[in-house]
Amino acid sequence: MMTYIVFILSVIFVVSFVGFSSKPSPIYGGLVLIVSGGVGCGIIMNFGGSFLGLMVFLIYLGGMLVVFGYTTAMATEQYPEVWVSNTTVMGVFLLGLLMEVMLVLYVLKSEEVGVVFKFSGMGDWAIYDTGDSGVFSEEIMGVAALYSYGAWVVIVTGWSLFVGVLVILEVTRGD
Amino acid sequence: MNPLIFTTILMTVLLGTMIVMMSSHWLMIWIGFEMNLLAIIPILMKKYNPRTMEASTKYFLTQATASMLLMMAIIINLMHSGQWTITKVFNPTASIIMTSALAMKLGLTPFHFWVPEVTQGISLTSGLILLTWQKLAPMSILYQISPSINLNILLTMAVLSILVGGWGGLNQTQLRKIMAYSSIAHMGWMTAVLVYNPTLTMLNMLIYIMMTLTMFMLFIHSSSTTTLSLSHTWNKTPLITTLILITLLSMGGLPPLSGFMPKWMIIQELTKNSSIILPTLMAIMALLNLYFYMRLTYSTSLTMFPSTNNMKMKWQFETKRITLLPPLIVMSSLLLPLTPMLSILD
Repeated sequence: MMTYIVFILSVIFVVSFVGFSSKPSPIYGGLVLIVSGGVGCGIIMNFGGSFLGLMVFLIYLGGMLVVFGYTTAMATEQYPEVWVSNTTVMGVFLLGLLMEVMLVLYVLKSEEVGVVFKFSGMGDWAIYDTGDSGVFSEEIMGVAALYSYGAWVVIVTGWSLFVGVLVILEVTRGD
Repeated sequence: MNPLIFTTILMTVLLGTMIVMMSSHWLMIWIGFEMNLLAIIPILMKKYNPRTMEASTKYFLTQATASMLLMMAIIINLMHSGQWTITKVFNPTASIIMTSALAMKLGLTPFHFWVPEVTQGISLTSGLILLTWQKLAPMSILYQISPSINLNILLTMAVLSILVGGWGGLNQTQLRKIMAYSSIAHMGWMTAVLVYNPTLTMLNMLIYIMMTLTMFMLFIHSSSTTTLSLSHTWNKTPLITTLILITLLSMGGLPPLSGFMPKWMIIQELTKNSSIILPTLMAIMALLNLYFYMRLTYSTSLTMFPSTNNMKMKWQFETKRITLLPPLIVMSSLLLPLTPMLSILD
């Protein structure tokens, strides 16, 4: 099972995305976001990016999702929608699950899957080696490069986040 | 809105488009598009009524979908070419997805449904920014990937846009919807020639922005958003009425006004590339556009449109001072004799 761990984690990833995009109440959406965040962290870690995976847990789940959870708890309704409470939500969820199951069976059965990318059956999902990176880890070098060569990216993303806050305040302020 | 915040947000819209136009890394382009989208939402929502909120929501949803498609195309391109530089997109799947994403951002058919509804729900100044500045960023990316765009898809979208822009505007009396359908049709003309000679796309974009800017300024000056309200301008400022006539005919593409220049050049370029039926169809469908412009001029400048007697004196708040209106009007009507100067563009 460990050779195909990335494949299993990816399937759980997609299933949790189906879970919140079938639009239950935001509280339950946040619940599957936690699951998908944790599983995404696992996928990144399997490619050798332990720092970035733990960043997902810390910042995404532990910072942003916690704030999201508190705000939806303040704005929640008396009977929030679950996946089985509404026919539409349940229908969309089951449809998404069905499509995912069919895709998984297609990948498992056939030699080669050529939907948009070609990858040869299950072989491509197993990680044998993460490429010849020498003595240093690529992802830590990437994070270091962000703050040295990529200073412009830091400036642009920092400004985008700042303007995002300004925009949200402006939109929700009303008249 | 607080003037400081408004200035910051407006500058961020400019910064977003500048980042899109000047970046060499696909990810930065995507970041530029998102910054542009995020910052224009409060500009669209300047007045707080349900109409503007609905229009902003529609704009946000369609543009966010287009950004997601763009990101997918970028990643497919990364997978197949292994690099993030802006060049032509070598993989056909990525090219088709990217063309669709940029068509959604521009408002080309079959992704044109948001343009009239969003333009109608917002104020005239916001509509102006939406229809002119927001077209610059996607068009610059289309220009940069133009060698690799699938010709069939792009030409189909262009011809359908000209048809929809002409046909859809026929039944409109609201000026903002008329400008929206005119924008759809002009985008169709621009993308039709993109694969053959992208310089003409830029020329058409330049002249279109000038003419649309002029039209919106004239509407803002007379504070009119419907045909009926525009037809009362003869009473207040007859000069503006005449200028509305000239600018509208220029938008319709009539010689000897400058709106004829891009259409002429585009038809010439298409026929040089041995396609005869396509420019003929395009020119015929531009007549639909011309029809509703002429209906506007008929009701505004050429006749005294019927209205009740107490509506004949047009009242408004103090006259808005619009800077640069005379140069804009001159440029959007008298540029045709400068056409031989286009030879410097090569």
